[in-house]
Amino acid sequence: MSDVVCCLFSSAGWDRSAQGILGAGRRLSDSLGGKLVALAIGPANDALNGAAAAIADKVLVVDHPLVAEYHPETYLSALAAVCKPIQPAAVLLGNDTYGQELTPRLAHRLGGSAAGDAVAVLAADGKLRVTRGVYGGKATALIALARAPGVVWVRARALDPAAADGRPGGAIEKVDLQLEPDARVQVISRHVEAKEGVRLEEARLIVSGGRGLGGPEPFQQLQALATVMGAQMAASRAACDAGWVPPSWQVGQTGKKVAPELYMAIAISGASQHIMGIADSKVICAINRDPDAPIFKHCRFGLVEDYQKVVGPLRDKLSRPT
Amino acid sequence: MIDPELATREVLWNIRHAWIMYALLVPTVAVSGYGFYRRLKLWRRGGSENRFDRPLARIGLLVKFGLLQLRTWRKLYPGSFHAMIFWGFVILFIATTVVMIDYDFGIPIMRGRFYLYFQSLIVDVFGALAIVGVGMAAARRWIARPKQLVYTNEASAILVVIFAILVTGFLVEGWRIAATDDPWGSWSPVGSAVAAVSSNFMSTDSMIAAHRVTWWTHLVLVFGFIAWAPYTKMAHVLTSTANIYTARLAPIGATLRKIDFEKSEKLGINSLAGFTWKDLLDFDACTECGRCTAVCPANRVGKALSPRDVILDLQRLMHEPNRDFAEPFIGATPALSPEPFWECTTCGACVEACPVSIEQMPKIVDARRFLVMEDAEFPETMQQALTSLETRGHPLRGTTFSRVDWAQGLNITTMAEAKDAEVLLWVGCGGALVERNQKVVRSIAQLLEKAGVKFAILGREEKCTGDPARRIGNEFLFETLAQENIATLDRYKVKKIVTSCPHCFNTFANEYPQFGGRYEVFHHSEYLAALVAEGRLSADMPTDKKVTFHDPCYLGRHNGVYDAPRQLVQISTSSTPIEMEQSRENGFCCGGGGGMSFIDEPPNQRVNQERARQVLETDADIVAVGCPFCMTMLEDGINARKGDRDTKVMDVAELLWQAVERTAPP
Amino acid sequence: MNTIVCIKQILDPEIPARDFRIDAANREAERGGANLVTNIFCENALETALQFREAHGGKITALSCGPDGAEDVLRKALALKADEAALVVNEAAKNPDPLFVARALAAGIRKLGEFDLVLVGREAGDWGAGQTGGLLAEELGVPCVSFAESLEPGSKPGTVRIKRQTDSGWELLESTTPVVVTITNHEKNVPRIPKTRDVMQSFRKPLAKWPLAELAIDPSAAHAYYDVAELFIPRKETQCEFIAGDTLEQKIDAFASRVTEVMRSI
Repeated sequence: MSDVVCCLFSSAGWDRSAQGILGAGRRLSDSLGGKLVALAIGPANDALNGAAAAIADKVLVVDHPLVAEYHPETYLSALAAVCKPIQPAAVLLGNDTYGQELTPRLAHRLGGSAAGDAVAVLAADGKLRVTRGVYGGKATALIALARAPGVVWVRARALDPAAADGRPGGAIEKVDLQLEPDARVQVISRHVEAKEGVRLEEARLIVSGGRGLGGPEPFQQLQALATVMGAQMAASRAACDAGWVPPSWQVGQTGKKVAPELYMAIAISGASQHIMGIADSKVICAINRDPDAPIFKHCRFGLVEDYQKVVGPLRDKLSRPT
Repeated sequence: MIDPELATREVLWNIRHAWIMYALLVPTVAVSGYGFYRRLKLWRRGGSENRFDRPLARIGLLVKFGLLQLRTWRKLYPGSFHAMIFWGFVILFIATTVVMIDYDFGIPIMRGRFYLYFQSLIVDVFGALAIVGVGMAAARRWIARPKQLVYTNEASAILVVIFAILVTGFLVEGWRIAATDDPWGSWSPVGSAVAAVSSNFMSTDSMIAAHRVTWWTHLVLVFGFIAWAPYTKMAHVLTSTANIYTARLAPIGATLRKIDFEKSEKLGINSLAGFTWKDLLDFDACTECGRCTAVCPANRVGKALSPRDVILDLQRLMHEPNRDFAEPFIGATPALSPEPFWECTTCGACVEACPVSIEQMPKIVDARRFLVMEDAEFPETMQQALTSLETRGHPLRGTTFSRVDWAQGLNITTMAEAKDAEVLLWVGCGGALVERNQKVVRSIAQLLEKAGVKFAILGREEKCTGDPARRIGNEFLFETLAQENIATLDRYKVKKIVTSCPHCFNTFANEYPQFGGRYEVFHHSEYLAALVAEGRLSADMPTDKKVTFHDPCYLGRHNGVYDAPRQLVQISTSSTPIEMEQSRENGFCCGGGGGMSFIDEPPNQRVNQERARQVLETDADIVAVGCPFCMTMLEDGINARKGDRDTKVMDVAELLWQAVERTAPP
Repeated sequence: MNTIVCIKQILDPEIPARDFRIDAANREAERGGANLVTNIFCENALETALQFREAHGGKITALSCGPDGAEDVLRKALALKADEAALVVNEAAKNPDPLFVARALAAGIRKLGEFDLVLVGREAGDWGAGQTGGLLAEELGVPCVSFAESLEPGSKPGTVRIKRQTDSGWELLESTTPVVVTITNHEKNVPRIPKTRDVMQSFRKPLAKWPLAELAIDPSAAHAYYDVAELFIPRKETQCEFIAGDTLEQKIDAFASRVTEVMRSI
């Protein structure tokens, strides 16, 4: 009742997300005084299993023809089946769509409680407490999960990986499961591509350019930066008016109203009609030559520089993996 | 010398078979009468509306806009030729009536000095003026060819016929004078000139013969014209007169009609069946003069909206044979498509410019009402503004301010806290929620405080008056907001309101009375000007900057307040404001009314930039405004156009605060 | 198809940040002068249902669980031409946890009778738990597909085809009915606005109200799943931190690491 299970998708490999989940799981299980179990589901991935074994006390590999690819119902059944006998205190998942989808249902099957979007998971009096943003990020809540296990999806990439502490590696075990195929849901096709119709309004990262760019060409540099960041492109009204970029890029009172996690305003002065379009952004940052530009009043951080000197090197920096 | 008391002339001289004239009169009157009857029948298909109250005021309208042609005169060239033709024909019509009374009724009035001064001299002069007028009109139509006119064969033919009537009239008169050697001929200067010229190459006999032929020609032309006129735009002689008599007596700001939501089968108007008889009369009253389109700010910057074409296309649809009045007109012609309806700033310039009192703008709002309330099809950013209005009580989605942020540090009480507030300062969404305008409201509040006015605000209890909802066409939302606000105002027993926004001002002054909310309401410029006049504020430190004033449509044209803000400028600068090329009644919209603040205009079709151009042409240092929407639109326009110049936009209250306190606005 | 769309009434998420206050006693946001609105993802769900009905027929029932005032969001759904509406009236339990809501909705759905599709928003703009859909599927014992952007009939009768968003793109799934689908926003399901006539008529349409007791739900269980232990407004850095550095490269480095920090926290 004090163990922690971290659910990892074998197909994703030993990525930053897996490292964050295991890091959080390690710290949590240590505080609970229980074991850390890494549950790797999907076609066995030795690199992942090995890396996980260096941190977890045990790695359970669920490799079954029915979980070769993600399927909401069979994955759920498989996870529930593996977790149930462990009777864990906590089950952690990542913040990918599948992890988010599975979390509440898994909690329900295990008789536990779920929470999502956790930036911190702590145990107190045998119960999990999850810190998460609520009210669109305007407030932070500490959620006390009443039932065990606490099934939580975490903001995995924001969590620190486990420190290498030289403990002995855990065993890697293959789990033999009796899984029934699900007759109800069928995956017809999967498409790996840029999301169709992702609207600027939903973008999580936005790089935006303004009048200060002086023409359409610098937007190509911004585009290169945005591509590296995985960000969407946007622009101020002045830039759209000038015809440098399409009107659909326009952010502001008469354009789109956006609410990304990060809004990077490059050479945008920050007229009030523009601010009205970005006020819901979690973090606004800006690059502008003019230290008195009104945009800085709304920024978390800013760089007073000519964008021409910054955008290229910044792209190079951000393109290196962290 | 014959006694002038005996002066007269023989009626129907040289005319035999005059009975033919009387006989012809019957079909003429019948055809003409049928023409008008046909129109009347169409108008009667419209809904009911009372436009016959206050007859004295209505006669006043007829005198001003009919007889004296006050609106027509606003454009000098067309105003003058129209007046010449109009007055020419009025006089000629009176002269013909005199003949009829004298000859047919046997009352001898066409005698003596009256005959000489009026029937001969004045009639001749006005006839001549009418010919000059026709010539000027022809020059405009065929040579100058301004864009605002509608070029039809009918309009050309009308000019030709009028010209022919006048010329044949003078020929008949001249030959009569020459042939009869009329001793009073010299009292008819044009006639005697014709006589003198003709005598050089025509014998008396040939003049008598020509007279007879021309007389009948003249008669046929006149009767023909009378019969034809009601089928042409010349019908305006009667339709426009009727339209002026039945015009709106209230200010433009009060022209939008209330909707009875319980009884209305359709909300807003999308077919002729939705209009009242007065609307249908409006269509028929149009003279195609195009002044409405010429002054339309949307049209000026190259947009598709043309109030003239809206009216003319509706007129054409109304006259289509077997037109089903229930058939939708929206989309029937380019001018009646939804797109132009969403370009109207509801500035009212069209209504103000119309010489015959047609109300174009309310019809556009009627169509918007249909598109919004029945179709739910309108520009997305306007939808967002209305959704915000519905859920948050203000249309400024994305604002980072609350209603009371502007008052921080000013120690202003709310109505809930105040015990003895005499005046409610209505801040408005534009004043409270847009950073730039917060300075304006702070100026107003501090000026009121300095003058010792006991005032309070509603604070968080304030909601949008509903003006944008009403102009965009969501009358239902407007009514909801109106009722909520009236309930709040009633709860605090508010009697006197000062608004910082002309749109709020107009809603309180002209629209809330429709819902039982009656208040004494002042725009801040009026109230502050009065405080200065009473000596409760003194502007000791006027600025020496050059200032021009931009009339907010909803203060000026919609409510006739032109002087109070100018007085404030004068007080704050010790000189009268510079006037722009368009000001006062003729003022040009900032582009922000009618919900257009919430629409992104194409970059090359921005009304605010055209107004900014007019501002910059005055070379003023400051353009003074009195409206939060104008503030935003003009700042935007001027910033885009000013180049190196340092032209500022300031509210009249900020100017006054500077002059009173000699500080930058708070 | 019989579609049930679950709709949540929430506090207007667009309260300006400087106006946002916390009611410490109840551990929720202070209502203040703000309005209650329909959760946006629920509007997307209703829009998806309306489009499905327009294309393929069927019936739409709007269902909510909340205080009596939540009737408003159901009236809005009726104004958008939902066929029927029902409210599980919960006046007793403030800010109930997701399992409680899922159970109340499941009870409501069982009372409504047969259904093929249950559409819910992917999450709500207030607490953003994102659990109602999944828990509801478990309570009803039916499959669940999350983050769907559009629906169409499946290849066989009694199935539905679901296009849903994933991290790397999108997937097409087919599920038998009944099924619970959580809806995310997409350019194709931007909520329409109601016609005024329909708004007016929505007030005259019948709307079922079922108190918790009628559905045999115990309000004291409202926090048996989880509870909010603390709620606070995170300290905001109001001042812009101007990135400093001796050289341009240092400044860019510092700027880049701040950007990376934010990106990693997503």
